Amino acid sequence: MTDLECRRVTREFPGGAGVHGIDITVAAGKIHALVGLNGAGKTTLMRLMLGMLRPDHGEVFIGGRPITQLGAGTWSRVGHVVGHPLAYPELKVRANLALAARLHGVAPGRTHDIAEEALTEFVLKPYADKRIRVLSSGNLQRVGLAIALQHRPDVVVLDEPTNALDPSGVLLLREVLLRRAAEGTAVLVSSHHLDEVARIADRITMVNRGRVVGELDPGSPDIERAFFAGILSDDEGTVTP
Amino acid sequence: MITAVLAESAKAMVSTVVRSATVLLVVGIATLSTAMSLAAGAGNAQLSAKLGPLAEEEGWPLLTGVVSMITAPAGLLGFGVVLSWIVGREFSEATVSGLFALPVSRRSIAAAKLTVFWAWSAATATALTVTCALLGLALGYGTPSDADLLALSRLLGVGVLTGLLAVPTAWAATLGRGLLPGIALAVMMIALGQIFVVAGTGAWFPIAAPALWAMSPRDVSLLQLLLVPTVALLFAALTTRAWHRLELDR
Repeated sequence: MTDLECRRVTREFPGGAGVHGIDITVAAGKIHALVGLNGAGKTTLMRLMLGMLRPDHGEVFIGGRPITQLGAGTWSRVGHVVGHPLAYPELKVRANLALAARLHGVAPGRTHDIAEEALTEFVLKPYADKRIRVLSSGNLQRVGLAIALQHRPDVVVLDEPTNALDPSGVLLLREVLLRRAAEGTAVLVSSHHLDEVARIADRITMVNRGRVVGELDPGSPDIERAFFAGILSDDEGTVTP
Repeated sequence: MITAVLAESAKAMVSTVVRSATVLLVVGIATLSTAMSLAAGAGNAQLSAKLGPLAEEEGWPLLTGVVSMITAPAGLLGFGVVLSWIVGREFSEATVSGLFALPVSRRSIAAAKLTVFWAWSAATATALTVTCALLGLALGYGTPSDADLLALSRLLGVGVLTGLLAVPTAWAATLGRGLLPGIALAVMMIALGQIFVVAGTGAWFPIAAPALWAMSPRDVSLLQLLLVPTVALLFAALTTRAWHRLELDR
């Protein structure tokens, strides 16, 4: 079982933006959602968790080890989409999946089967032999999610995964994430869609101005109201993280 | 590293940029050189003036000399554009974020990009040399003499060295987070090369060495030529280091 953990992680950009002393643990087998307004620091936090940024202070751990000390074996158990998917426009969907599987450490003899399974799981068979450049943004997002999840990672980080997805894609993603979490995967997602995260998340953490400002109860009857109340309290300085 | 090389090869082999550059470098240079050789041979005064002492040659020496002379600047531009694209596209197409948190290190990915580029540039230089040889035969220059074969092998050398000279564009594309900084550096290197040739600095300036070797082989020493791979290795090391330390902070 592999956890993803941030301990007092800080990364500040000129002007004061960034994240400031964030503690967060994404437990194995759980879906943990990050919610916050645009610019709250969700993407920065995810980048720090994946080594795309180095913290000024604090540390990120995967499976209890600092990410600066992780070997190839542990990184092969991580999947993510933070920003543009790892999909190249000149390659066909099937070839992109196979290439990404290799880069994620899948043995050469297994990449074909892994890619075929992903095509089936993410309902991408009709597009398997199309080049990425001709896909709609929704189907590109599906390919990105397939790339992040096809190698059965223990830790998954997805930034706004429902962006550009049609309703069937959202439903599909929901089922896949619930299934993976049930199998023991630690899943971190960020989203603006509070109703959607309430359906799948075990924990919901609110981020505002680069800090964790509280949690939301996924079972709360009016999660939107609770979210804005939490953000407003922080903006008015009445909440101490 | 092998995984990264295979991944980069798969991308390069279906790339329109790489295919177009290959055709332009091989067919374009060969066509231009043939036209220039024929025009110089027919006594075109303006062209003869441009070619300098080379215009006094004919047959194989004229053809190989003209191809080598064009390959140095045109090759640097073509190779520079391709390497800038191989590296810079990850930033301009935003795929670079997917190259983090992988079991394949970013240092290996950068090294694989340079390896695939080097293999492609060497193959392109070989294709250009073979094309030049076929053109000479087709133009009726007869069986090449030992001196002509040496000139053909020197043409291959100029092509390979020019490919190595393009390596700094990978570093520029990394630091500048896109294609254009690399391409801009390639253009600047061509201009600097011309200036140093005209200024008579000689082949101690690596950018000018292949061009000078192409025009006047006896005036360029092996040590001067070896500065070209030295510069390539230095910038390859800088590029892989920059990828190792890469952050998505801008």
